[in-house]
Amino acid sequence: MLLPTAQARETYLSSIYSGCNILLDKGVELDCQSVEFDDVRYHIQVSLRYPQFLVLSMSLPTPPPETIFVDGLPFGAIEAIKAAYGVLVQILDPPKDGYNLTMRLDLVQLPQDEELQYDLLEKVASVREVVLGAPLRVVLKHLASKRVPPDLDRLIALVHRPRESFFLAPEADKVTVVYPMRFNDSIDTVLAISFLEEFVEARRTAGLNNAPPCFWSPSPPQVLEEAPTEALSANSGFVTFVIYPRHVEGRKLDRTVWSLLTFHAYVSYHVKCSEGFMHTRMRRRVESLIQALDRAKPEGEDLKKNSQNKSSKRLSLMEIRNNSNS
Amino acid sequence: MDAAASRPAVVIDNGTGYSKMGFAGNVEPCFIIPTVVAVNESFLNQPRGSVKGSNWLAQHSAGVMADLDFYIGEEAVSRSRSSSSYNLSHPIQHGQVENWDAMERFWQQCIFNYLRCDPEDHYFLLTESPLTPPENREYTGEIMFETFNVPGLYIAVQPVLALAAGYTTSKCEMTGVVVDVGDGATHIVPVAEGYVIGSSIKSIPIAGRDVTQFIQQLMRERGELIPPEDAFEVARKVKENYCYTCSDIVKEYNKHDKEPSKYIKQWRGIKPRTGAPFSFDVGYERFLGPEIFFNPEIYSSDFKTPVPSVIDKCIQSAPIDTRRALYKNIVLSGGSTMFKDFHRRIQRDVKKIVDARLHVSDTRLGGEIKSQPVEVNVVSHPIQRFAVWFGGSVLASTPEFYAACHTKAEYEEYGASICRTNPVFKGMY
Repeated sequence: MLLPTAQARETYLSSIYSGCNILLDKGVELDCQSVEFDDVRYHIQVSLRYPQFLVLSMSLPTPPPETIFVDGLPFGAIEAIKAAYGVLVQILDPPKDGYNLTMRLDLVQLPQDEELQYDLLEKVASVREVVLGAPLRVVLKHLASKRVPPDLDRLIALVHRPRESFFLAPEADKVTVVYPMRFNDSIDTVLAISFLEEFVEARRTAGLNNAPPCFWSPSPPQVLEEAPTEALSANSGFVTFVIYPRHVEGRKLDRTVWSLLTFHAYVSYHVKCSEGFMHTRMRRRVESLIQALDRAKPEGEDLKKNSQNKSSKRLSLMEIRNNSNS
Repeated sequence: MDAAASRPAVVIDNGTGYSKMGFAGNVEPCFIIPTVVAVNESFLNQPRGSVKGSNWLAQHSAGVMADLDFYIGEEAVSRSRSSSSYNLSHPIQHGQVENWDAMERFWQQCIFNYLRCDPEDHYFLLTESPLTPPENREYTGEIMFETFNVPGLYIAVQPVLALAAGYTTSKCEMTGVVVDVGDGATHIVPVAEGYVIGSSIKSIPIAGRDVTQFIQQLMRERGELIPPEDAFEVARKVKENYCYTCSDIVKEYNKHDKEPSKYIKQWRGIKPRTGAPFSFDVGYERFLGPEIFFNPEIYSSDFKTPVPSVIDKCIQSAPIDTRRALYKNIVLSGGSTMFKDFHRRIQRDVKKIVDARLHVSDTRLGGEIKSQPVEVNVVSHPIQRFAVWFGGSVLASTPEFYAACHTKAEYEEYGASICRTNPVFKGMY
């Protein structure tokens, strides 16, 4: 509950897909647009003529110059889509105007078994992770087999927010992930810094010994020496995670990719929550102060009445004078 | 214009019963969820007197956890049913926000967990009832700008949006009477050329929730075996699934008595606590429920004016040159106008009142001057249930919308008072 951005996946998309069966039976025209955090946009269309095809277009956040994009997609994305969805999805080339990727889902190809179908649709709903997380997945898969990915730089930049990227430094036995944290609002910045400091502190408690080590520093860490300077301006410091092979074994890989990909959203959600929480507290405090004032009232009440009478009388007197003058 | 204006605005219509939310430009809201928050109050009720030293810290963090432990929407309803540590709170009562803490939490979850967008990236369009005091609007602005850092905010008046919804489906008509029957409030609001005629707004203390209560009462009196903790929810579902508007109560009773098999429905359910199945009959309440709008005396002894005559009074109090146009465009909005044939019944009853008045004036004039008949037209469209949301979606996808918004910069310059004035009493944009 406390970390919905990291856990609950594309709720809206999945609600649409779960309506797929109804779609197939009735043939409804559908055309809707949706936006998610970090500026990922979707456009879903179903036409009456081909009710079995659902066309999903997706646009990604604008990549900063240091990231590698192949044909408007992060590297490895096309392969990842094919691996994840198989025959269900056909990638349309070129993509729809203004979008990075357009896929056509053939709803007839959905498995009949309800559970399998649900799993697959769930996967389609998290298309964001498949596309944006493709490079991350490649690197982490190599880590699981303790190799350095070939033909990649020592420092990889991956887009996760419009014009912002985070960095991966792959080595044979570990991958270092660095997030430059940026916030627009000054209050957010302060809250985010204290949140991150607490976050690092919480990692040290006994229960979390197996979690990836985590650091926060106000200045860029050593790993980022080669990164372009404009990518290193972060007003809320830098968060570093070190991922070891044990974090990406087998089924853990999916969760690690998702958590790493949505880390910024996770922090920003918690910043907003703490702001809301403080407001609640402030309102409660104001209420209790007002109550204290109310309790102190009875003696003053007579006085207030008198003064009110006086002022009204004075006003009327003044009015009379004014009237007589004019 | 900033980057946020290139993204679709977020439209949230918080009603007493249901909240509708989604992105501008779409035809349907992404989510329609009950406006409820389930709060865990088990921490708060601990005795506060014996607070000492380290115990205080423990209590404090328990309080913090309790503040973070909550659910909204359908999830809240099911949580509160399965465990006794959650209490349901309805942040909106009779169309007005009563509990701001719960409302803030509700918005927080709507934005982050349902729409899953970053509030800093989107303009927001929220709605309010025409009778909302300016202070509430200020509170809303404060929460939106301070907590969520929204770049821009527009607080629209529900009936105007409902009119705007009809605007695209038929012709360009911004004059009409909006009959907004929600779950907690019923308002009849005349709008002329996009301006709300504030002095003629009429409110009726009977709304969707009363229909539910009345159905619950009818079923209880007849002795149907419904688990008491579930009775309200069951009654609500009966209302949503089986109720319809009849043209004449007596005839309808006869119909039911002649052919009970055709009219009496069976309801099957499962008791939430024990899991045992139960079933009961749904009979006269199918048409008696909605009837409280037309014959309120069967439900309450305080308020006895039927909806059609309130509509008529409302129009009669509007400026005389707008009245014909108002009769011509009576627009329904809100979930509780979804009963079958609801619009026909209203049209017939209003027409009856108007014709009777014409007849009286004709006979008084002795047939010398024949007055022109008044056209009464009740507009009903399939999106009625979320007409307000749809209107908001239409409005927020026009380029003028971004200019009409209160921006964050304005808020920082002048404070929450920028939200005080309601632009719709001055004009549409």
